[in-house]
Amino acid sequence: MKILLKTLAVVATLASSSLADDESSRVDFQNDLVPVFTKHGCNAGACHGAAIGRGGFKLSLYGGDPAADYEAIVRRARGRRVNLARPNESLIVLKPAEYVEHGGGTVFDYDGQSARLLIDWIRQGARDDTIRRLNRVEVTPVRHVAESPGESVPLQAVAYYSDGSKRDVTQWTIFAAEDASAVEIDSESATSTIIRRGRHIVVARYLSEVVPIEMIVPLTASEVDLTANSRNNFIDDEILKSLAVLGLEPSPTTVDAAFLRRVSLDLTGRLPSAARVKVFLADVMPGKRKALVDELIRSEEFSEYWTFQFAKLLRIRPQRDDGQGALTYHRWLASQIRDNVNYKELARSLIMATGDSHTSGPPNFYRTVAGPREQAEFMSELFMGSRLRCANCHNHPLDRWTQNDYHGLAAIFAKIERGRIVSEKPSGRTIHPRTLEPAIQRIPGERFLANDTDNSRKQLADWLTETSNPYFAKAIVNRLWKRMMGRGLVEPVDDFRDTNPATHPALLDKLATDFIENGYSLRHSLRVIATSDAYARSANAIEQNKDDDRFYAHAIRRPLEPEVLADAISDVVGIADKYGEEPDGTRAIALVNPKTPSRTLDILGRCGRDESCEGAPGAVSGLSQKLHLLNGPLLNARITAEGSRLKRLGDAGKQPAAIIDEFYMVALGRHPTIQERNYWKRQLETVDKKEAFLEDFVWGLLTSREFVTNH
Amino acid sequence: MNSPRRCDGVSRRDLIRIGGLSALGLGLGGLFRLRNASAAGSPLETKAKSCILIWLDGGPSHLETFDPKPDAPEEVRGPLETIATNVAGVRIGECFERTSQVMDKLAIVRSMTSPLGEHNFGTHYLMTGYKPSPALEYPTFGATVTQVRNQAGVLPPHIAVPTFSGNVTGNGFLPSATAPFSVGGNPDRPDFKVRDLDFYRGLDLTRLDRRSQIVRALNEFGRTQDAAAAPSDPDLERAYNLIASADAKNAFKLSEEPSVVRDRYGRGGGSSIGQSCLLARRLVERGVPFVTVNSTGWDAHQNIIQLQKRYPTDRNAHLPSLDRALSSLVEDLSDRRILEETLVVVMGEFGRTPKINSAGGRDHWPNVFSVVLAGGGVRAGQVVGSSDTLGELPKDNPVTPSDLAATIYTLLGIDPGSELHTSDGRPVRVVPDGATKISALIG
Repeated sequence: MKILLKTLAVVATLASSSLADDESSRVDFQNDLVPVFTKHGCNAGACHGAAIGRGGFKLSLYGGDPAADYEAIVRRARGRRVNLARPNESLIVLKPAEYVEHGGGTVFDYDGQSARLLIDWIRQGARDDTIRRLNRVEVTPVRHVAESPGESVPLQAVAYYSDGSKRDVTQWTIFAAEDASAVEIDSESATSTIIRRGRHIVVARYLSEVVPIEMIVPLTASEVDLTANSRNNFIDDEILKSLAVLGLEPSPTTVDAAFLRRVSLDLTGRLPSAARVKVFLADVMPGKRKALVDELIRSEEFSEYWTFQFAKLLRIRPQRDDGQGALTYHRWLASQIRDNVNYKELARSLIMATGDSHTSGPPNFYRTVAGPREQAEFMSELFMGSRLRCANCHNHPLDRWTQNDYHGLAAIFAKIERGRIVSEKPSGRTIHPRTLEPAIQRIPGERFLANDTDNSRKQLADWLTETSNPYFAKAIVNRLWKRMMGRGLVEPVDDFRDTNPATHPALLDKLATDFIENGYSLRHSLRVIATSDAYARSANAIEQNKDDDRFYAHAIRRPLEPEVLADAISDVVGIADKYGEEPDGTRAIALVNPKTPSRTLDILGRCGRDESCEGAPGAVSGLSQKLHLLNGPLLNARITAEGSRLKRLGDAGKQPAAIIDEFYMVALGRHPTIQERNYWKRQLETVDKKEAFLEDFVWGLLTSREFVTNH
Repeated sequence: MNSPRRCDGVSRRDLIRIGGLSALGLGLGGLFRLRNASAAGSPLETKAKSCILIWLDGGPSHLETFDPKPDAPEEVRGPLETIATNVAGVRIGECFERTSQVMDKLAIVRSMTSPLGEHNFGTHYLMTGYKPSPALEYPTFGATVTQVRNQAGVLPPHIAVPTFSGNVTGNGFLPSATAPFSVGGNPDRPDFKVRDLDFYRGLDLTRLDRRSQIVRALNEFGRTQDAAAAPSDPDLERAYNLIASADAKNAFKLSEEPSVVRDRYGRGGGSSIGQSCLLARRLVERGVPFVTVNSTGWDAHQNIIQLQKRYPTDRNAHLPSLDRALSSLVEDLSDRRILEETLVVVMGEFGRTPKINSAGGRDHWPNVFSVVLAGGGVRAGQVVGSSDTLGELPKDNPVTPSDLAATIYTLLGIDPGSELHTSDGRPVRVVPDGATKISALIG
């Protein structure tokens, strides 16, 4: 009945309207009106875009579902929102213009362009068919380097449609600065003003398209010429390029001792032994750093440490009381790392895994999280560096993922029986919350799979690991980069999206291509990074780059991970820590169960692997940690214990100064400087009880900033 | 389900923490250069010197607590009854027998509203007054108070009993020294004490003093090389000062309280909420400006009735435990004549779905919920705002968490319009622009 009325009305309107149906002046609901609702915030989460709508009127969040919006406007509320007979008296116009009381206040003027578009559309029959599809939005500029803060930059957005037409949509595009105190946006005039120095992101959003704009004001007013700087591989080309743009002078290359400590910690999670330090410092061969990197990468310690890193990524942990699966999984992972597995093959074996999780490692991949939806989130964060989780409830406003992607991926994982034996379950379904029907299997962002597909996991793995996949290689090289350099090119490392661009996009591309071309070898990419000049830079900032925290003008100081720090403490004091019932001498990084009882690891803030461990926060406040270091057994019980390094050195009759020297070597990987040596000498002269002083010295060393960080 | 990640790409894990320092990955902060951020403007003249935040972690049901709907259909009303209070016309949940008798000292806001129905987001919004942002993690009330008051004292100015919420760092962009100190342990246990306050055997203050000096010397050697390095390790200094003070350590001794007082606050329920509130009182009495009592387990997706009792004769379920703790705290503060200078706030990150779900519980519902305030100059004995008949949306006087933050800060003598500074000098308002304090509560 309503439809009939509407048709009549359309006919009537068409006959009487002076606008007739000239295609060029036709207002298109999806392309022209949805942006109006978005621009005015009508479909934001705080207004009608809320899950339950507002005031009885519900729009899809940021216009993610135009069909539903059309339905809400034209058909719901018994069609009261549009008045085809008197378009300018439609509620959809009167309310936001506040000619009728509106909970949201006055949103636009009755005489303004928004109201006019709405009225024209209603006059033309309030149609929902669309003539053109939006292909893309071109935003200018996408990158702007300003000379000084305060500079204004006009922004423009042009939409390109499937019928070949284009249109300036600047007025309907939302420009939002990621950091509103860094870039000011005047939305009336679509101009941005950069307020602070640095590199800032402004996000332009029009319909479903989001485009990031990079706004840069060099960090220093002075120009830097880095053309003559040394460069070892493609990494250095890219890093130096961005430093030049930002006016950042790089710190010099770090000294041998610092390099040795850094690269040993990064590649093997261990401090170099005192003997190793001596040999390395004495070595005069020009290629010794490269040789060191090769040696470390070939070592058993490398395999052990990177097994730990990937065990965290895969969240390997006993499930309830079932420790066997975790053990098998961990063993399998260790052998993969040791044999320099092709990472693509590793991913494929996990995604396509079936079988007994007690006897085979990969099936445990499907026993790590609770169900198909969680599996979709876990898989996408792990292998795509993307967070699909927000698309569970709504199409993500700042990302490309839709509910179909999320639930379609979950539908693939629903076809798995996830008990001890992981097997196919063809009848498995997951419900799409919007349709309330079983979700259709889907390769995210790509294509639906037919319902009777019996190899959907293989199709998913094929798509994920083909060389053209935009996520897979980048996600892993970005993680490797972060481990080595202290910060991801994309940060957080599991949040790749158009609106969170890499600090060095070209570098990320090159790293990914290089990784693929070299057989998806983790060792290869780690070697490339470890041998770059950028990696070897000093962690000491200089005056000209002390504000840099992400462009690698100096190496980034980072805290040792809890497990690595625990092992380092054990190595320095010479007394192993005790982890639950594990055999004596077990290292923290070798624990299969991340919750093995250990007050040390609790205090240092370990990750339990129930959730992602990316940059897991320290579990304790600085004050609590320091209290424990001062009064707890972590250090106090071990420094002077029987068999400890300090005890052994003392028993062997070593002089206090020599003991201090040795601890510098073991803990800091260097000799004390002359200044330091003199200082400790003077201190020692003033005390009677040398043993107690040495105890306190070792305690202080293990608490010092130089020891607890990698730099 | 608690989750450390957020849809908008920010989480506490973006915080880089090194020793006593922290810097957020934002703009180009001097990573190791910590400027003393301070709020502009002088403190306002107000009564509240301290604040106790009773945080009901997980999101308490507004329908079973302070906004019951006795006239709603059964699936909304739920299984519990309501009771009258000593304020005419105000009814609350039946479990609040004792609280109903101190209603004249409480104010209920029944029209709280937020769009954020996820634990992380909601906690951040309620505890900071700001919605989470990818660019900045905001400080919680306690951190801001610590920063602005800059009160010298040996006891940590911001304390969590027994632990802080896992959903926010606490200090946000402010220095880590403003983060809450968690006392840890279980205040319900007879042998409760704060860990690591007593000397390790064989050590004494002279030794610890020397150790601190050694660390200082080592850090100073390193600092001369690095233009971005920080001068000292403030956490270590604070730890040392705390250990050195017998007086300060006494504050944590619950065993000094008479048994009858300890019983009155309640033992053994609501994740130790009773003894935690008692400890909070001992701390504010000694001048600690901000104490968060963290009661976990309010995320009642199943069997809402278990908040009242988990088995026949159970007196220690969450609601009766909250009843004892809150009423005792308010009476005790009042008897000691420090209620006027102590603001008490009771809240969680959101309310619960008005309709009982198929598991007999209630799910997350941020659209309307209640908070309770007492003391600290709050105009008590009243209900501010109301929800609609089914407890779905605010009916009048909607109050956002930002508005609540403006109110709390005002009561604590901090101008909501004043500014804090991030480590790289960027000014940030204490509460977002546009937030308005609830005038009915103040004065």
